[in-house]
Amino acid sequence: MASEANFATASIRLENLSKQFKEILAVDDVTLEVEPGTLVCLLGPSGCGKTTTLRMIAGFEDPTSGKVFIGDEDVTEMPPYARPSAMVFQSYALFPHMSVYENVAYGLKARRTPRSEIRTKVREALDLIELEGQDDKSPSQLSGGQQQRVALARALVIRPKVLLFDEPLSNLDAQLRVRMRGELRDVQRRLGITSVYVTHDQEEAFSIADVVAIMNQGRLTQLGSPLDLYRRPADRFVAEFVGLSNVLPAELVGSNDKGADIRVLGQMIHSRQAPTNPSASISVVLRPEAIRIVTGEDSGIPARVRTLAYIGPIARYTVAIDGDGTELIVDLSNPASDEFYEEGTAVRISLPKEVPALLS
Amino acid sequence: MPEPLTFSDWIRNRRPLLIIAGIQIVLLAFIATRVMDIVIVEDSREVVDGVETITLRRELIGDPLLFALAAVGMALPLSSKNLRREPVMLLTVQLMIVALLIFVLWPVGQIFVEGFEGSGGDKRFSLENYQRLFSRPMVARASRNTVLLGITSATLSTLIGAVVAYTLTLTDIPWKRILRVLVVLTLVSPPFAVSFSFILLFGRRGLITYDLLGIRAWSIYGPDGIIMVQLISNIPLAVLILMGVFSSMDRDLEDAAEDLGAKTFRLLRTITFPLVTPALLTAWLLNFISSISDFGNPMLIGGDFQLLAPQAYIQRVELFDPQLSAALAVLLVIPALFAFALQHWISNRKSYVTVTGGARTGQIRKLSGWFKWPLFSIVLFLGMFNLLLYGSIFVGAAVKAWGFDFSLTLRNVKGLLIAIGELRNSLFVAAVAGVLGGFIGIILASLVTRRRFAGRGALDFAGTLMYAIPGTVVGIGYIIAFNAAPYLWTGTFFIIIVAFAFRRLPVGLRSGVAAEKQIDPHLEEASLDLGASRPRTFAKVTFPLLRTAFLAGVIYIFIRSMTDLSAAIFLSSARTQLFTVRMFNVMVRGSPSEAAAFAALLIVIIMLALGLLGRLTGKSFVDLFRIT
Ligand SMILES: Nc1ncnc2c1ncn2[C@@H]1O[C@H](COP(=O)(O)OP(=O)(O)O)[C@@H](O)[C@H]1O
Ligand SMILES: [Mg+2]
Repeated sequence: MASEANFATASIRLENLSKQFKEILAVDDVTLEVEPGTLVCLLGPSGCGKTTTLRMIAGFEDPTSGKVFIGDEDVTEMPPYARPSAMVFQSYALFPHMSVYENVAYGLKARRTPRSEIRTKVREALDLIELEGQDDKSPSQLSGGQQQRVALARALVIRPKVLLFDEPLSNLDAQLRVRMRGELRDVQRRLGITSVYVTHDQEEAFSIADVVAIMNQGRLTQLGSPLDLYRRPADRFVAEFVGLSNVLPAELVGSNDKGADIRVLGQMIHSRQAPTNPSASISVVLRPEAIRIVTGEDSGIPARVRTLAYIGPIARYTVAIDGDGTELIVDLSNPASDEFYEEGTAVRISLPKEVPALLS
Repeated sequence: MPEPLTFSDWIRNRRPLLIIAGIQIVLLAFIATRVMDIVIVEDSREVVDGVETITLRRELIGDPLLFALAAVGMALPLSSKNLRREPVMLLTVQLMIVALLIFVLWPVGQIFVEGFEGSGGDKRFSLENYQRLFSRPMVARASRNTVLLGITSATLSTLIGAVVAYTLTLTDIPWKRILRVLVVLTLVSPPFAVSFSFILLFGRRGLITYDLLGIRAWSIYGPDGIIMVQLISNIPLAVLILMGVFSSMDRDLEDAAEDLGAKTFRLLRTITFPLVTPALLTAWLLNFISSISDFGNPMLIGGDFQLLAPQAYIQRVELFDPQLSAALAVLLVIPALFAFALQHWISNRKSYVTVTGGARTGQIRKLSGWFKWPLFSIVLFLGMFNLLLYGSIFVGAAVKAWGFDFSLTLRNVKGLLIAIGELRNSLFVAAVAGVLGGFIGIILASLVTRRRFAGRGALDFAGTLMYAIPGTVVGIGYIIAFNAAPYLWTGTFFIIIVAFAFRRLPVGLRSGVAAEKQIDPHLEEASLDLGASRPRTFAKVTFPLLRTAFLAGVIYIFIRSMTDLSAAIFLSSARTQLFTVRMFNVMVRGSPSEAAAFAALLIVIIMLALGLLGRLTGKSFVDLFRIT
């Protein structure tokens, strides 16, 4: 796309959107605003209603209640072909009876674009995704990654105001997935096109999203930048979903408007945020990388190493606390150093002195 | 600050709604003028002082009830929001509902209505026909014969079909490829051609019975003959259904059961039977329907063995008792509908046949010679017998007088020239019916698989219903429904085409549904998402992907229409004579050799149609008839 500058994009607004399939409430009162030009990830476990939400934006499902706006326009009652959105499907949905060229030209033909204009636009789109010269191939002759790109080109060529992605990378192998998500993110940034991206993969979401929206059982549980969510998960579900976490019960010792002091496994920890409801039972999220294994005899909590695994640049231990047997996950970086602990070793662990927030 | 709405704004905002409303009104008005009319009739006539005064009055004729039903049918999809938003879709659904109502439900319903009318033009409700009916020994006899024949014929053809299918899929007998074609050869013949060649071979002057064996006392005419003919005609369907099951059975399942310690009997009971039973029942029920619906074979070979379908024809056409004929049709349609409902229920239950496509489906079992060669003989016998039947037709067409003078001649082939008009009519009717039925089938299929709207289930049901309706009943129903003003369709090509298209619609619909289910629904969604309207999506994506199913449907309907006799015999007229009707008359009254030429030509046409299908889609005729 040569004329990237005049790519008109628009915000998306979902107002109290719900969808009831016979017995299942697939989407439950979701309200969400996507700023123009940003990429929002809908992240959640399988079956939580992400796809259904996306399909309501595209117009494939009628909301049971609520409204969908694209820009200032209420599109809730609009059929899919009248909406200014374009979708990239998990299965790519490339038309098997058409060539690559015809696939990309499809939306333009449907809009009765003049033939010469179609040719230039399709060329530009194929250039953009580095598939020039493959016009006459049938989709089945392309690799998974190439098919993915054709699907993207086909969606982009009609200049949609918003782009929708439903797990677009899940049919690719792990390496290609990482590369393609970089490319997708690149194109999205360059065109500055508002996008909603559905995935169940936390790492994928965090690596490409401006804003991540966590969904659970049809509800939107938390909305924020990847860092926000990591630092201040709103509840235990988010904490566990956005990354491996140790969620431990805590005892409230005292709190004021600057924070709170709690006791966890006998050790005092300061929270920079006071609990919203001091009388409820509270717990705390301890990131595996925030816990350390210490060697000194008198400091730390006595524990025993249960398992050890090397995952890329970190060593991941599970340790059982002596006494009640609570298990914790502990990540130590730089496992190449001599300092490692075999299974069964008695160790002492130390918890962080401070955490950003508490769960209640 | 909202501005006050002017009238033209108000119109503009509601333009789509107004367009829909306008179309609805036009459509309703059109239907009204088709199914109703107002005529002027004489009310009274008096002569006062030599002056004659005639009072006229207007009278509504036709079917206000049908119109009311059509109006309700059109209102039904209006309740679906997603259809209201898309006028083209709404209109398509409404047209389908109205078409199925007028051309399927209404004529079938008329059978029941006429059966309950008094005799002699009295239109009031009465059980008189049934009293009359049951006071006749013929009726009880024909009913009992029909049901007994259906049970016997269905049971035998299913059992033999199962043995043949098992042998052809799971054993290591030789010549399997050619035998697979030979045993299902009779699928593609006009059904009564089988009884005709039986007459050639086993009739009074039959080649085998009279000339070879010298039998004089036994006669093929009667129940024995009908059962044999029906077996030959119906075994292929059972074979196809069961071959599908046997070849998709996963050998791993059996092995797993054996591993778990199941002994042979347990294995059969716990694994094999549950897999095969639904298919056996399906084959049985479809063959039952086929047997009791059979019209041509009993007419030719039935002798004085009375059955419902031929009797319904005889009462109407030869004995001029239309009410009794309708009442017989009701008796015929009830068990057929019952069997059909049961079949529907079975096929809708969860299927056990795992379509895993695993590497070990349909694996060959090595059998000992004690099993293998008897099985092989059965299959070989069946295949050779079919070949003999077809051969006798072609030989019969080439000789002077079958049974008396076997010298070669071209006379019979030349004799076909007298039927050239009928042949043209048949080709025309079958081709148009094929295309019409194929299209409606594909459109219906994509509606019922892809859209959710009120009345979808009813649409699916009405589209499939005709499968259960014997041709005789279709013919009688159409005559009753569309004989009088304002229709006056009898004697036109229109009524024949419509009857054929809707009679065979179920197969077009089912093959369309099966094909739709193979397509990733996201393809159609992607098209809509890229800005293509529903009609455009259908034309550019759905239809091209369903092309094979569509062509298969068209050719299936073409063949079935070319060979139809049971409905055709009621609907064709002097002006619209059909080839099969002429052929039937020649078989009943003319010389066997003359008739054989007709049958041979029909078989050639069918083969050409199947060849065309193969060229266009790469499918063999066995695929074409694998329906259920
Ligand atoms: N067409 C449908 N009919 C009935 N239930 C559906 C349909 N589509 C989705 N669901 C149900 O709605 C829930 C949410 O589905 P989905 O949005 O696909 O979840 P996700 O994309 O997050 O995995 C699931 O429980 C699913 O079974
Ligand atoms: Mg999903």
